[in-house]
Amino acid sequence: MNPVIAVEGLAKEYRVYDKPEGLAASVKSLFHRPSRIVEALKGVSLTVGRGEFVALLGPNGAGKTTFLKLLSGIITPTRGTARVLGHVPWERADEFRRRFALVMGQRNQLWWDLPAAESFRLHQEIYRLEPARFARIRDELVDMLGVKKLMLQPVRDLSLGERMKLELVAALLHEPEILFLDEPTIGLDVVAQHTIHEFLRHVQAERRTTVMLTTHYMKDVAALCERVVVITHGDVLYDGSLAQIVDRFTTHKIVTLDLDEPPEPGRMERFGFPCEIRGPQVVLRIDRSRIADLLPEILRTAGVRDVSVEDVPLEEIVAGLFRAAPAERAVGVGA
Amino acid sequence: MSGLPTTAAGRPGPLAELATRLRIWWTMLTISLEERLAYRGDFILGTAMRFLPIVTQVFLWTAVFTATTRSDIAGYSRTDIVAYYLLTMVTRAFSSMPGLAGGIARSVRDGSIKKYLVQPVDYVSFLLAARIAHKLVYYAVAIIPFAAVFFVCRGYFPPVPDAATIAAFSLSLVLSFLLGFLMEATLGMLGFWFLEVSSIIFAYMLVQYLLSGHMFPLDMLAGVPTGFAGVSVADLVRWLPFEYTAYFPAAVWLGKIRGMELVRSLAIEAAWVVVMAAACRLAWWRGTRRYSAFGG
Amino acid sequence: MGRYLSIFRTFARACLVRDMTFRANFLLECVTSLGWMSMNLAFYVLVFQFTPEIGRGTGWTREPFFAFVATGLIINSIVQALFMPSAEELTDMVRTGGLDAVLVQPLDAQFLLSMHRVDFSSFANGLVGCGLLAWALARMDHAPSPTAWLLYPVLILCGVAILYSLVIMLAAATILLGRNQSLYDFWFYLTNFSRYPAEIYAGPWGGPLRALCTFVIPILLVVNVPARVIAQPLEGGAWGLVALAVTAAAAALVTSRLVFQAALAKYRSASS
Repeated sequence: MNPVIAVEGLAKEYRVYDKPEGLAASVKSLFHRPSRIVEALKGVSLTVGRGEFVALLGPNGAGKTTFLKLLSGIITPTRGTARVLGHVPWERADEFRRRFALVMGQRNQLWWDLPAAESFRLHQEIYRLEPARFARIRDELVDMLGVKKLMLQPVRDLSLGERMKLELVAALLHEPEILFLDEPTIGLDVVAQHTIHEFLRHVQAERRTTVMLTTHYMKDVAALCERVVVITHGDVLYDGSLAQIVDRFTTHKIVTLDLDEPPEPGRMERFGFPCEIRGPQVVLRIDRSRIADLLPEILRTAGVRDVSVEDVPLEEIVAGLFRAAPAERAVGVGA
Repeated sequence: MSGLPTTAAGRPGPLAELATRLRIWWTMLTISLEERLAYRGDFILGTAMRFLPIVTQVFLWTAVFTATTRSDIAGYSRTDIVAYYLLTMVTRAFSSMPGLAGGIARSVRDGSIKKYLVQPVDYVSFLLAARIAHKLVYYAVAIIPFAAVFFVCRGYFPPVPDAATIAAFSLSLVLSFLLGFLMEATLGMLGFWFLEVSSIIFAYMLVQYLLSGHMFPLDMLAGVPTGFAGVSVADLVRWLPFEYTAYFPAAVWLGKIRGMELVRSLAIEAAWVVVMAAACRLAWWRGTRRYSAFGG
Repeated sequence: MGRYLSIFRTFARACLVRDMTFRANFLLECVTSLGWMSMNLAFYVLVFQFTPEIGRGTGWTREPFFAFVATGLIINSIVQALFMPSAEELTDMVRTGGLDAVLVQPLDAQFLLSMHRVDFSSFANGLVGCGLLAWALARMDHAPSPTAWLLYPVLILCGVAILYSLVIMLAAATILLGRNQSLYDFWFYLTNFSRYPAEIYAGPWGGPLRALCTFVIPILLVVNVPARVIAQPLEGGAWGLVALAVTAAAAALVTSRLVFQAALAKYRSASS
């Protein structure tokens, strides 16, 4: 089955000029400007099949937005190849641009001064959409997101959440085969985030649109997709299912005990694992392989009223991944 | 504030205050300089490019001279004209205050002026100090292109005038700096009364453009009648403050204004500075009262 | 082609609606540009007090010179109205990522970036220019031939095309360099050269300058050629200039497009 997105060794480097600090440096900068090369993306390879929903997860500056910009043809790479829907993105063929959509959170695509309805009409002309079909799809999308009454107001007067919904409508008017989303829920309130999650899930399921979104919110990921690509420092750290991240990257589980009364000093520590004692509550981080034998012993400890055994929270795992130095990376391709 | 001389009561004495002020002022200066240097492309190109419109004007006047049999126009020979335009550049380096009026009006509009109302800082003095800093920085970086251009064009200038004329020239430059500053500052203060000062500022710019001598030596207006017998437009313009922002120092250096007339014009310029200083104070006083009354 | 026209109409209509909504501001902007223009006209009137002609034997006496000025007003107002507003917005678009949105759409980026905004108040100067032209032609001894009348609008378009190409080159520079205020100052200084008849650039410095601004950066062809055609007898050298203007316009359009495409290829995009 032909992949919809095929990327091989894609890399992007920038030359960045350092800003001089202080007067002497400012004068010197007239004659010689120190610069360095920043590797925004170090050589990424992956493939995405039709209808997949992929999240690019990573901290700020990791390279996820750069990656999206390369795939949508906004910038050209330093090295490597990519084919999206059979096209080379940075050649910016009209044929190609008609088949995908890009929505960037907090950045406007719609024309500021026009009311959304006019923007949509422009969209119809630019993408050469057949009028009847366009009208039907537009009405459908507008109803789904409940933005009908916002259509006639100039876009600049609307709130961030309202604008985002209209952007999503505009993006889908031409029924793109691929939808790229860059931090779509950033700055939005919980309700708006939820609405958008629902909307994206519905759209993707119904039209088998391939969706790739970047985010640094775990919430987006957990709600929307199975496949996660973790990008840090311009490299892919992990590419696989969300569920397997836990297996792959954690070595222990968290055991929380509710005791009748605070334990005697040294009592909990003798199990040999880090523990946190908060009054009558004890939190232990126990190696997964030892849970089976240690747990019965722990439970036999007098005064255990309640116990819970949990995975390390996803946020924590991912935050740990974000912090991992490049040398420690281990690329896993799972799912 | 340790280490600074204090009065018997333990408060910082006047010497200490001066030291603090100088320190603040020095910081403003270095920051301005860094700011300028940061936009290095702008800086290198921008300063040199300011001379370009003069090039066009000079060619125009040269063409005018070739088609006429006169040897001078309103007392300016072909070479005088070039010298005149270059000298107006010098005057404008002193008297032009880009963004001053607009900046004051804007800070009234968005409320950032409030902090100057509550602090024991004199807003006008603060602005003046900032402008002096900016100007010094500007002269420091612009001196090179200016010197280069003046050197290349030295053939157009008459012999260097006598000491008295040079003194008068220098005095007129300092006064033109003050006049330019005070006029724009007062204009900006109109922001206390009018929400959109930009149209007023625009009208001021327009009148200035025509009557300051920026476009042509004001002596040329001597032949333009006003409708009143024997009074030309040039006679009227002489009493207005605008000519001092471009025309006057240039004319002084070139020796077009001498003797009693020179003294009288300097007096008028000084008088305008005093008038505008008073107007500025008044505008600040009345304006801030009005501002506080309305809650800002 | 029709698609582009229709899209442009939508943009223009939106701008017109906005201008009419903020009518006071619109009128103020008309008055602003008319104000500057009047100052300059007053200056020219003053100059002609001292001389009958600009340059000896050039043919630019009072009425022809004002026809020249009128031509300049017409051409500049077209460029200021149709292309400059969008070009001025480009810096912001680069900064906020609006340019990214443009690059993703299946439409020519140069078209979108140079024509999505129209400033109707700039047409005011052009209208006055037409009036001034009528006044000058009525008082001139020389009446333009039918050929001249046919060539005039064509040459006006050539002038607009050359200025448009310069706008595009500026835009390309903005895309590559990001924020750069001196670029727009540069526009002012460059067009400043074309305010007067090319004949004023004479002499050891003027000659080369004139050649530079005619053959390399053809700024002197913009107003001079149509003005000469309408205000002075059409003969000999004038035909050469006409051919030159048309060629320069075509070359400028092609060159600027190539430069623009190259700039887009090297676009860095604001940081993520």
